[in-house]
Amino acid sequence: MSTFSGLNAAYTGLVAARHGIDVVGQNMLNMNTEGYTRQRSVQGASGSLAQVGPLMGQIQVGQGVSVTGVQRLGDTFLDAKVRTTAAASGYWGVRANELTTLQASLNEPSKNGISAQLSNVWNAWTAVSMKTGDAAGAAVLIQESKALAGQIAVGYTAVDNQWTQLRTQTVGMAAELNSAAEQVAGLNGLIRSTLAAGSSANELIDQRNLLTTTISTLTGATVRNMPDGTAEVLVGGNTLVSGDKSYAVAVSGTPAMVGAAGDPVRLTWVTRPGVPVTLDGGEIAGALSTLAAANGTGTGGALAEAANQYNVFAREIADKVNAVHRTGTLADGVTTGLDFFAVDAVGPAALGLTVIPTDKDGIATAKPGAGGADGSIAAAIAALGKAVDSPDKSWSAIVTGIAVAARTGLQQSNLADLSTKSAVGNQLSNASVDVDEENIQLVAFQTAYNAAARLMTSVDEMLDTLINRTGIVGR
Amino acid sequence: MINRVTNQGLMMTAQRNLQQSLSQLAQKQNTAGTLKRIDQPSDDPSGTADSLRIRAEQAAVAQYGRNLNDGNAWLSVADTALSKTNSLLQKVRELTVQGANDGALSPVQKEAIAVELETLRADLMTTANTEYLGRNVFAGNSTAGKAFTDLDAVPPALPYTSTGTGSAVERRIGTNTSIRVDADGAAVFGEGDASVFKLVDNIIADLRSGVNIGVRLDEIDTRSSAILGQWGTVGARQAQLIKAQGANVSESVSLEAQRADIEDVDLGQAIIELKAQELSYQAALSVTAKALQQNLMDFLR
Repeated sequence: MSTFSGLNAAYTGLVAARHGIDVVGQNMLNMNTEGYTRQRSVQGASGSLAQVGPLMGQIQVGQGVSVTGVQRLGDTFLDAKVRTTAAASGYWGVRANELTTLQASLNEPSKNGISAQLSNVWNAWTAVSMKTGDAAGAAVLIQESKALAGQIAVGYTAVDNQWTQLRTQTVGMAAELNSAAEQVAGLNGLIRSTLAAGSSANELIDQRNLLTTTISTLTGATVRNMPDGTAEVLVGGNTLVSGDKSYAVAVSGTPAMVGAAGDPVRLTWVTRPGVPVTLDGGEIAGALSTLAAANGTGTGGALAEAANQYNVFAREIADKVNAVHRTGTLADGVTTGLDFFAVDAVGPAALGLTVIPTDKDGIATAKPGAGGADGSIAAAIAALGKAVDSPDKSWSAIVTGIAVAARTGLQQSNLADLSTKSAVGNQLSNASVDVDEENIQLVAFQTAYNAAARLMTSVDEMLDTLINRTGIVGR
Repeated sequence: MINRVTNQGLMMTAQRNLQQSLSQLAQKQNTAGTLKRIDQPSDDPSGTADSLRIRAEQAAVAQYGRNLNDGNAWLSVADTALSKTNSLLQKVRELTVQGANDGALSPVQKEAIAVELETLRADLMTTANTEYLGRNVFAGNSTAGKAFTDLDAVPPALPYTSTGTGSAVERRIGTNTSIRVDADGAAVFGEGDASVFKLVDNIIADLRSGVNIGVRLDEIDTRSSAILGQWGTVGARQAQLIKAQGANVSESVSLEAQRADIEDVDLGQAIIELKAQELSYQAALSVTAKALQQNLMDFLR
């Protein structure tokens, strides 16, 4: 036990208290930094010196306090939970968003939607049936029918545009994913070397956690923490980031909706072209599922299914009207077998629906043999709107189907958001900085500093007594 | 450490609650502003389906209303024409009775009656060719210019043939109901030798050739009862149509009520909900302001 060991011990106390205050300061300064996880100065009591040699047997005290590190108070379980819920909420969020946009493009229920236009067309047919051979009534019918065909085309085009836009967004999401993966790889390298050098990499780990959450939101990726401090990011069991290496992905497949069946839009590995990335959820999976081709059962991609429904609807109108129109005759009472609507054989039916007659002379309103002024065929076409399997009911079924899908999507999205909020809340309640708590820590370290300084003063006074006051009695 | 509460967590919760409250306020404001319960189909998918069905029904009922008006006009024209035909025939009958007095009438007087009868025959022909908006009321769906061909028809045809095709002019007045709005020219006026025109021709010819025309009175009465029968039918149809007009109006009112029931919100309810939401937003704001304003730093010196 040396004379000055007390001074040294007091010094370690000052250093430890200062370090503690520094860490508290770092916490308080980063109170609102996104992704910051609070830290603690980890301190340990220094043991007494080893007792060997002639001085053995003396009672020794410890040598003060030592700072052993800066602990990051994160919880990997809570972090993983945030990533999992973010993936679900990303998946349902994209789907709900797209379905809401889709149903908004339906423009129903309103006075300007397709259902209202259908009623206009049927009414125009009734008007024609009442005044056969009237040029004005026929012109109204032709214009209303053209307007209906136009609205179907506009609806289809809106879906088509939405598809193209979503595909472009998906390419953007893939780019975001690649950039995040590259940054995670870079941070992995930095963290590994920093930890190997014995320094603290806490802030780097915070940054990396933010990035892996982004990656999970996009793809539903899982993260495995490796013993060397690096994090391995796995997408569908395949490595996206390992150590300081990342593997890029790219969006491939058809650039237009019509090609979705033959060449679906998919995410592939750049290093292994043609091998699709299996996604576990996330925004990209939500987008890809919305971009999928229509299947026969109506459970394919929402956009392609809607476009397909527009096509089926256009063909249904043309077929039903033409089937009746063909049985009618023109005003001459002879010419029969004429079509009213034409559907372009090439391309989507919704875009190829056209009206054949240009004036009253092309509209077959009469039943053969009933007289040229007969309007019973026109009346029969008007009655299509009231039939059990009317195009109106088909349209209503389409609108209801999309509405139900949108509602389900929104509910799922809300649920997923709820669990995300709760997961983020839990993560925050563990990792975020509490000002009151830091203040108490600050007071504690201040007191520790004062105590160490007091100790130093005591030792100093003691030495002063020993050196300056001792042995001067009687001088 | 799940129960650890931090400033950041507190702020985030406060922000989330405020956001939620504000978004509900926006929704209520939208509802109160538009007074529409269904803004998007997903708000109420089954309500949307009902709304589409009722809107289509409304459009159809409006069209039935127009059909009824048109049919009413047709039947009124037919009714007037039949009334005129009946009075013309009564006039013919009077002249026939007068002309049957062989002993009392001089040939000049008979000739005068014959000339008047010729005028009546022409009037009958005009009435038979009554048109409504360019369509012959007594010719069904025929596109021929006239309902009955006269002697001077071009191309020459069998005199007094009806050009009607046997098909009736009908108007749809309900989903499954149609009503005939024309009158059968052949049944009213008869055709060819059995026609009312030929009958008058025969009377004129008999009058001029000195044959007693008293025997023709029976034929006139037969025709007259046929016309009355058709007139009655037209009247009955018009009565049915007027009843249908009343039903049409009440149905359109009831459909509008149904549509409003499905699509619209009650103004009072919307405003009360809006006010309640405003209050809850203000409460959230004031609670947040109180909760976030203090921490330990206010007390440490």
